[in-house]
Formats: sequence, structure tokens, C-alpha cells
Amino acid sequence: MSPDATRARRLVEARLGRAPQDALEAAVVLEAWAGVPAQRALETARQLMPRRAAAPLASVAVPTVTRRPPGLLVEGLAFLVSVVAIALWAQPLADSLGGAAVERALRLALPMALALQWGLRARHLGRPSGLAGLARERRALAAGAALLVAGLGALLGEAGVLAALLTVTWTGGAVLIRRGASAFYATAVTAATVALLAGAPGLVAVAGVAALVVAAGAWALRGAAGAVVPGRWSRTLGAALTGAGVGTLLAGDPTVTWTAGSLGALALLPSAAGGLWAGLHLWKLAPALPRALTGVPAIVPSSPRGDVAAARTAGSSRGVTAHSLVRTLAGAAGRLVAVTAAGSLALVAVGGGPAGVLIGFGVVALASLLVGLLDSLGRPAWAGWGVAAGVGAELLVRLASPFPGAALTAGGAVALAVLAPAAIVLLARPARTLATALWIT
Amino acid sequence: MAAAPALEIATPPPAARPAAWRPRILLTTEGTYPYAMGGVSSWCDLLVRGLDEFDWCVLPIVAPHGRAPLYELPAHAREAGPIEVWSEALPRGRRAGRPRAALPGALVRGLLGWNGDADAVLAEWLWCRRNPAGVRRAFRSGAGWAAFLDGLSDVLAERIPEAGTPPRLDLVEAAALYQTLYWVARTAAAPTPPADLLHVTAAGWSAIPAAVHRALHGTPLVLTEHGVYVREAYLAAARGGGSPGARFTATRLARGLARIAYASADVICPVTDANAYWEMGLGIDPAKILVLYNGLRQGEPPTPPPGERIVVSVGRIDPLKDIHTLLRVAQETLRIVPDARFRHYGAVTDGEDAYGRSCLALHHQLGLGERFRFMGRTTDPTGVVRAADVVLMTSISEGLPMSVLEAMSQGRPVISTCVGGVPDVIKGCGVVTSPGDDHALTMAVVMLLRNPDLAWRLGRRGHDRLGRIFNEGACVEGYRELLHTMTRERAQLRAVPS
Repeated sequence: MSPDATRARRLVEARLGRAPQDALEAAVVLEAWAGVPAQRALETARQLMPRRAAAPLASVAVPTVTRRPPGLLVEGLAFLVSVVAIALWAQPLADSLGGAAVERALRLALPMALALQWGLRARHLGRPSGLAGLARERRALAAGAALLVAGLGALLGEAGVLAALLTVTWTGGAVLIRRGASAFYATAVTAATVALLAGAPGLVAVAGVAALVVAAGAWALRGAAGAVVPGRWSRTLGAALTGAGVGTLLAGDPTVTWTAGSLGALALLPSAAGGLWAGLHLWKLAPALPRALTGVPAIVPSSPRGDVAAARTAGSSRGVTAHSLVRTLAGAAGRLVAVTAAGSLALVAVGGGPAGVLIGFGVVALASLLVGLLDSLGRPAWAGWGVAAGVGAELLVRLASPFPGAALTAGGAVALAVLAPAAIVLLARPARTLATALWIT
Repeated sequence: MAAAPALEIATPPPAARPAAWRPRILLTTEGTYPYAMGGVSSWCDLLVRGLDEFDWCVLPIVAPHGRAPLYELPAHAREAGPIEVWSEALPRGRRAGRPRAALPGALVRGLLGWNGDADAVLAEWLWCRRNPAGVRRAFRSGAGWAAFLDGLSDVLAERIPEAGTPPRLDLVEAAALYQTLYWVARTAAAPTPPADLLHVTAAGWSAIPAAVHRALHGTPLVLTEHGVYVREAYLAAARGGGSPGARFTATRLARGLARIAYASADVICPVTDANAYWEMGLGIDPAKILVLYNGLRQGEPPTPPPGERIVVSVGRIDPLKDIHTLLRVAQETLRIVPDARFRHYGAVTDGEDAYGRSCLALHHQLGLGERFRFMGRTTDPTGVVRAADVVLMTSISEGLPMSVLEAMSQGRPVISTCVGGVPDVIKGCGVVTSPGDDHALTMAVVMLLRNPDLAWRLGRRGHDRLGRIFNEGACVEGYRELLHTMTRERAQLRAVPS
């Protein structure tokens, strides 16, 4: 290296605080910070690069901070309060409108509400610009709610109206919770419960809370503005169908009664609580997945001489431990099972629903957990197929159900059998999952 | 030093153009026109409005932001697209055939390899264009990921003295690169409208659809470089503080894209001689290069500065604009001239939010308060510099910045770093210092704030110089001649029966 080139190299290294990556970087530094004209900088830079290759630097990606969204626990608790309150509605509503009408309404409302909630989450609610997107469609949503009530009312009478009102209440509740108005939603539902228990007419009370939730939702969205980047329609539709599938799994078993006192609907509570805790735990995967791959060389030299040209790739599951990721999933599942089992035992002890139903809700909750996981790992279609298989199994078993909750349990178990291997495979090869599924949407 | 760029354009005889035929120009942009204000966007708008004998179609490449365009296109222009990269949109077209698993591997070899095969990349891009739905299938497949890792292995094994030793990327960096290459392929797959001429505004992403179009239809391609794409990518990476792997992938990709853009371009138009020398240094045939300066309307005779010691800067909040130096200069200046006031106009560049936050943090740390205000985006760049006593620019990379011309059009003196074509432009009507030289920049600002007569004299000189050399007419006429020449040749080719 000539003295000029040596001097230039020192200058470049002083400016960068390290050796230049290549001749172009050295040239840019010489031109930008030392005032060397471009062509001379390029010529000098070529001279100052060492003839012998240096050892490659090990690079470690700068980690991006992924935190659990704030308020997730509050949202979950608000949801649980709503489940309890709505479970308490079942008996007064059945007294007011008749058990058959309420059963029918609940079996319809659950899939519809989950379809709308999951669809809205994919399109708007799960996105940074979600509230602004919903705000733009405020009028359409309000009109849709009115149409739903009118349409189902015309088709199914009181059961249809009740189904529509429950759907509107639960969907509006999701918007309110996302807007940070969890306390308001929980208070509104609790107030309706008090009114119903005090003997208020069933439809009037539910219509009141539905109207309140819609009005509050519209008001809450009023201030949301800004640029909107909605989710794509195909994803929205897929999410809605999956949501409807999960709702059908929950409500599709005719042996599960929702109106036999408050304990019927309360059977959902243990698995809902377990699902909440498991979901919170599963958030650990968001930072854990890239962390498991940070610092792991993408290409590892494997020849005896360490010749990089003869490298073998480490990007598949080989060479990358995925145990911690699978362990996190197992931890989440364990939490769900533990809470569901404890809650179910408590319910059975006070004379709650049949064990088969409680087990069925637990299995479906596990399947739902995996549905959410597969969706967030970029494989929503797999999640959809798993749920579809579960619904199919439930429909088959309900033809000859051997015990209460058998169809629910079978549907959940089949969904679980399809979804669990898929989730484990995705977590067991994290590099490929990150590259091909999570980051190629 | 190489000879000056030599391409000359003959003035077309107006009668040679059929009266009814309006040549169609496809203008591809990258994060600028019509969704961002100032700089390249101002130049695009000037060209599109000034050359109304062409039918313009603007194809912007942007990150999804959901915002409306900031420029209203004139009647003879329309927007196609935009191509939204890093969006959730699915590629058009039906699924057909097997996915091309080799695609990611070919792209990483061709774009990141030091001597990558540009023709091979173009062949892959053509496949993407013909099989848009296949792109996603290829990248979502395990075979695609494996092929990518094989290609990456080849690139990292390169040992070329000039290229240095590639770092050992980790799996997160490899996955991030894989995602970026997916969007390169998706950009290549995007449809382009029929055109008689392709006009590319940067030797990077915006060249991808144009290069594919040219390869498909033989349409001539003009590349205007405002900065030097590769140089800016290296500067941004050097100052970004990323890992060696992130630096390597960002700069190698920029170099790969620029090589294809240069190879595809029939004419390359830097906006300043300084950039032309860079391009020649990067191996471009000087015969392909035609320097066409930016220009701006000279306007009315300037009004005197307000005399309120207001220092204005205009530009995106971006590492290339070196806002940190701007803030430090403000602090030093305020120590000497406490009643000075600084106003910066410009929004944070998409994807540079972290840098934007660092600027706010430094602003807070330096205790500048209301004396230095971030004013956000402006739709009236000439108006804001008119309200200044001095215009300040601290960039570490520029071509021929419109903000400097805007200051000159309003008779305001410019203090700037000597980057790109700036020294040539403000010769005799401003002050230039080395990039990042806080002290020199501060002294220049203080000098002009304390000598308003000198500042006003420099400002008027700038106004005169703009009218003489860097005026709108010269810029527009230069492009008129070039574009007519190229579209006329195309029309003649079309007239030959095949």
C-alpha cells in the first residue's frame, strides 16, 4: 500500500471508527468528509483495500423491541366480566322470551359476533391505524347494525332480533375495548344485567345496552383520524370465516344448553379465563422468535478447513434450537388447562354443567389459542382448515351424541389434532417461519 | 480526471412530430412525487407541468401510508398504481404452475454479488412480471428459502479485495434480506402502462419496473439522478449505526439496483457535474451521460429579508440531511446571537422514525425550546424561505437541491455544506463549509446574521444567478429536447414494418 493510500485508509478508519466495508464505502467517506473529488476518491479507495481477505465479522441483528400491547390484561378482564354478566342474562331472557328463542338466538349470535370481531380485527382493529379506519366506516357500521336487527327480526322474529342485538353488543364491545373504554363496556353490560334481574323486559334491556354500546362506539371513534392502511379483504374474509367457525364449534352442539339457569352459560367462564392467561403468556413468543435467531449465523462453514464456499446452510431447523419456543407454547397450554380444570371443578362442585361440556369448552379454548398462534405466525389458512375440520367433526358427532358435550369435545379435539402439529412445526423451524411466513404476508 | 460528459442532443425540428401523436412518458418515482413535497417532487412537478405536449403517467413506489397525493396532477398527467411495497396486498393474477423456487437464490446472487449478473436478474424480473402470483408462492416456500440461503452462501464466500470481506449475517438479517428481495420481485411483477419513453427518477427501486418494461418492449429509458443512489445508500448506512450485516445488505442491494438501472438506461442525466463524475467513476460510459441542471422560476425581484434573525432550513428529517448538525449549529449560534430563531420545515422520511425521534431527543437535550422549531411539512417552500434572513442546509449528500434554488429565487443567502452540486450553484451568493463542520457553519450563520447588508447582497446575487443559469426555462427546455429526441427515435422505429 502506498503512503497516500495508507494515509487515506487511516483517515477513513478514523471517520468510521472501523475498517471500511469495501472500496465504495471508503470512497464515499473520502469524498463526503475529506473533500476528495469523486473519481480520485474511488481510485484511492481501491488502493487502500487490503489484498488479503480479512476474517469475516460476525454480525448480530439489532433487536427490535416487541412489547405486549398495553391494557391487554384490562381488556381480558373486561371480557370476563362481560361473559359473567351475559351468562346471568340467560335465565331472565328465557323467562321473558322463552327458552327456545333464547337458545336459538345464542347459537346464532355467537358465530356471528366472533366472525365480525375477527373480521374487524383483521381489517382494522388489530392495526395501528385501526380506529381511524373504523371511524371512516362509522356510518356503514351503524347502518349494518340496524340492517342486521331488521333483517334477522324479519326472518326469525324475536329470536332473530335478540341474536342481532347480542351480536351488535358483543361486536361494539370489542370496538370499545380497543378504544380503551373497557370499564364503560363492562359497566353497561353489568347495568343491563341488573335491569334484567330486576325484571325489565328482556328485549328492551338488550336493545338498550346494544344502542348504548353502538352510540358509545360511534362517539369513541369520532376523534380517530389519520391515514388508514386497512388489512386486505381476503384476509378479513378468512378471519371472519375462522371466527364464525370457532363460534360454531362453541355453539353448535345441541346437547349444550345455554339457558338452564346461569350455570349453563357460566360453563364457558373457566376456559375463557384460562384462554386469557394463556394468551397473555403466548405474547412472549413475539420477541422470543427473532431472539432465538439473533446471532445465529445464517451460513455456517462446515468443511474441515472452514471453507465458507463449502458452507452448509443453517436456516432450516438444523442448528437452531427451538426448544424455548415450543416450551413457551406448552407453558401457555398448561396455563389454559390448569385454569380450565380448576374452574370446571369448582363449577361441578356447585352443580354446574356436565363434565363433558366443561371439557369440550376447554378443548375448544385450546384450539382457539392455536388458531390465534397460527394466524399471528402468518399461516391463517392453516388455522382456517383446522377449524373447518373441527366443525366437520362436531357436525358428524352431533348426529349420534353419546353424552352431553360429546360433539363439542370431538370438534375441539379434531381441530386441536390438526392445529397442534402445524403450530409445533412452525415453532420448530423458526428461521423458515420468520422468513417465509411471518415476514412474507 | 475523465473528460466531461459528452452526450449532445440535437434540437428536434418541430415539424417532424405528427400533430396528432402525443408521446406517452412513464415517470417512475420512489417515495417522492406526488406523495412528498419539495426536492425531487418539485422537480417532477416542474417537468410534468412544463412539458404538456407529452402524456405523462406517474408510477410512484411508496410504502403503504394511506395518505392522499400532495400534488394535483395536471390534465395531461395521470397516476398509475401506486406500487405499495411492504404492504399486505396480494399480487395480481391467478396461481399457475409450480413456484419458481430458484427465484430468491438468483436474486441474491445477482443483486448482492459484487460482480452479480445483471442479465440474470433481469431474466428473473421478467419471469416475475409474467407470473406475478408465482412470486409470493416462491418466497413462501421452504424451497425458496433454501435456494436463497444457497445463493447467500455464494455471495458471502466472495473474496474480492475491492469488495472487502462480507460479514457473517445472522438469521434475522438473512430473513430481513429475504423479505426485501421479495419486495424487489413484487415491484418487478407490477404492471406498467404502455409508454413511448420511460423516465426514472432514481437509480434504485424506481428503476425496477422501468427496466422490466424496457426489456419487454424495448422502450428507451432516461434516468435522472438527483443524488447518486449508491453514494447515498453508503452514507446512510455508515451513519445509521446498524450491524455489519445490515450495512452490507443495504449497500450491496443499492449497488445491485443501481448497476441494473445504469445498464438499462439509454441516457443518464445527473443534475450536477459532481454527480456525473461519480457516475463515470462507477463505470458508466461518459457518452451516456448528459448533465441537466435543476431549475426554478426566477420570479419577481426579491424583497429585503425581514431582519428578525430568522434562520430557515427546508428538507426531510433524514440522516442524509444531517439534522443533528443543524441542531448543534443552532445551539452554538444561539450562544452568540441569543435573539436568533431557527425554523425547520420538512417531515420525517418514511421509515426514518427512529432518526426523527433522535432529533427530538437532541433538541430537548440541547435545550433549544421554542428557539428552534420543527414546523412540519410545508406546501409553500418559497414562502417559508422568503420569511428567512438566512437559509441553512447541513446535508451530507445532495444533487442540486431545490431548496437552495428556492432560497435563491427569493433573494436569500444560503449557507450550506459543500456536497454534490451545491458549491457550483451558490458560487458567489452564499457560504459553503465542509459537511459536519459545526463550527464553520455556526460562524457563517453568525456572520450573515450580524451583517444583514452582506446577506442581502449575497441574496440578490443568488437571485440574479438563478435567472442566468439555474432557471426553470433552461431545465425544462433541456428535457424537452432530450425527450423529443428519444420519443421521435422511438416513433421512427415504430414506423418500420416488422
